[in-house]
Amino acid sequence: MWEQIQQALSQSTTRVLSGVAGLLPGIAALILALLISIVVARLAAGLVRRSLLRFHFDERVFDWGYPSVAEWAPGKSPTLLAVRVVFWTIIFIGFAIGFSAFDLTLTSALVLRFFEYLPHVVAAIVVLALGGLIARFAARSVLIEAVNMNLQYARLLSVGVRWLIMVLAVAMALEHLRIGGGIIRLAFGILFGGIVLALALAVGLGSKELVSRSLEREASRAAEQSEEPVRHL
Amino acid sequence: MELDTVPQPALEQLDRVQGADLLVGLLSSEGNGRGTAAAAVVRQALEAFPQPPPRTVLLLDDSSGSPRLAEEQSLPVLFCRLANAGVPTASPQAIVTAYQTVFGISRRIGARACSVIASELQTVTPMWIDRLVRPVLDMGFDLVAPRYARHRWEGLINRAILAPLNRALYGRAIQNPLGPDFGLSGNLMKSILEDLPGPRAASSGRSVPSVVSTAMRGNFQICEAQLGPRAQPPADWMNLSSLLAQILGPVFLDMERNAAVWQRVRDTQIVPAFGGSDQAPEESGAVDAGRLIDSFQLGARNLQDIWALALPPTAMLEIRKLARVPPEQFRIQDDVWASIVYDFALAHRVRTINRDHLLRSFTPLYLGWVASYALEMAGKDPLEVEPRLELLARAYEAGKPYLVSRWRWPDRFNP
Repeated sequence: MWEQIQQALSQSTTRVLSGVAGLLPGIAALILALLISIVVARLAAGLVRRSLLRFHFDERVFDWGYPSVAEWAPGKSPTLLAVRVVFWTIIFIGFAIGFSAFDLTLTSALVLRFFEYLPHVVAAIVVLALGGLIARFAARSVLIEAVNMNLQYARLLSVGVRWLIMVLAVAMALEHLRIGGGIIRLAFGILFGGIVLALALAVGLGSKELVSRSLEREASRAAEQSEEPVRHL
Repeated sequence: MELDTVPQPALEQLDRVQGADLLVGLLSSEGNGRGTAAAAVVRQALEAFPQPPPRTVLLLDDSSGSPRLAEEQSLPVLFCRLANAGVPTASPQAIVTAYQTVFGISRRIGARACSVIASELQTVTPMWIDRLVRPVLDMGFDLVAPRYARHRWEGLINRAILAPLNRALYGRAIQNPLGPDFGLSGNLMKSILEDLPGPRAASSGRSVPSVVSTAMRGNFQICEAQLGPRAQPPADWMNLSSLLAQILGPVFLDMERNAAVWQRVRDTQIVPAFGGSDQAPEESGAVDAGRLIDSFQLGARNLQDIWALALPPTAMLEIRKLARVPPEQFRIQDDVWASIVYDFALAHRVRTINRDHLLRSFTPLYLGWVASYALEMAGKDPLEVEPRLELLARAYEAGKPYLVSRWRWPDRFNP
């Protein structure tokens, strides 16, 4: 009995250690692939940075009619954005190469599913990034225009616009990632619809007098202004 | 390109009036269907010229009818669409397009001089045309800029920013750098037309060069002519931010284009003026400075993050102090105001934020200046206005070294 236990223990130990030993080359390959990809990524990033600087890429992006790219690019520089994209893409490719060095059967299936899922991740990242940009731009536009219209609640409007756009972007990103599914859609619909309905009720019913007083005040202000002798030009 | 809005049949008719000495362009929409009245004004002006009077063509904006060449009061009159430049709500781009069309037609007919009048026709008198044209035809000047008789509350953007900025940059004290009524020589018009950017300029954000800056850059001879009062539509306060963005954007772009020129200018030259000085008209009504201060304070509370992207800490500190003072003590010092304008020009150049956002966020600051000016000038004699504005212009001049150093080394600034 004791010998059978010893034999079973010895076999399982051998199996596990063999399995671990089998993974070691894969781990080593992964580390090596990452190191090589870091070196290659740095070289490529340096090359791209030099080329784009020589090409005056930042100024040309503006001339081509895309000034908003400079707005959201890190350090307000499209060149830096391009360099970072190149760097991390090469790192990611190196990681994928190293990862595929593991057990062929298991990793092939995993890598296949990962690459099938990857476009959704990319789309979600793009949606979030764009949503963030648009939210920031819209919030700033609303803030400036609301201040210029002498609205005391300008900052509240601006924050509200930013959050509405971000909520929409997050819901779209989760949809792309296939996380939550119907629950997310339902929650978003309730949240968004609830906010809009609450605002409509507040303006239509609860704040009726406040809104009409505010409109009257603005109308009388406009009338007073038209009687002023100021001419800006 | 400048004659894109004029159809070919009209251009062919124009070619029959070669050899004209003078083109008078009236951009006012009231010129529509009032060719006789406009021609009468021009005919009366020409009668004051030494004989023989210059051969003159009159150009009127008429977007309602088809372009045509007619004759009124023995004057050839070309009616064509000038982009509705004369309506009070015409965009600066429409006015610029109209100017280009006038200059293009002037060049086509070989005119030695051109007078462009964008003010309302009811204000225009024969004296206007005489004073805008005579210095060009008889005295060799290339540009005649207008001087208007204004009361203290008129032309505030001009008084606060355009005139002192133009004076500090180019060393010429011109009351109205943006006109809109000018007299120009053929040489200057040729220079302006050659300087025009290509068809993609609008989409790339490049602006059309201004008449005055082109004249200064090319060392053309400039003078001013006193035209008297000018009728203006009431201020549209709801669209003030759009107005500021439309005016200041091209001005700041012009600064970028002419940086090599204005950085070398050290002194201010006297610009000859003709026509004496008319008495400023009486103003009626008072300016509500309290409302303007409220707008400034609202901007100071909500736009500090945006202003901090353009203004240094010292300017932000001044703004915070101003936002807390009692209304009766609200005063923006001239040197502070000049440095704020310069900082915005610099921020516009280096694009710290979206340019449209930057220019629109300037509105509460401008309203603060108007409030400060209104509080200071209320109850003062009209004769004290010009000396006061002279002090402001000197502050701009004194702040120019600051502008030059930050322009040359923008990376050294880190708000």
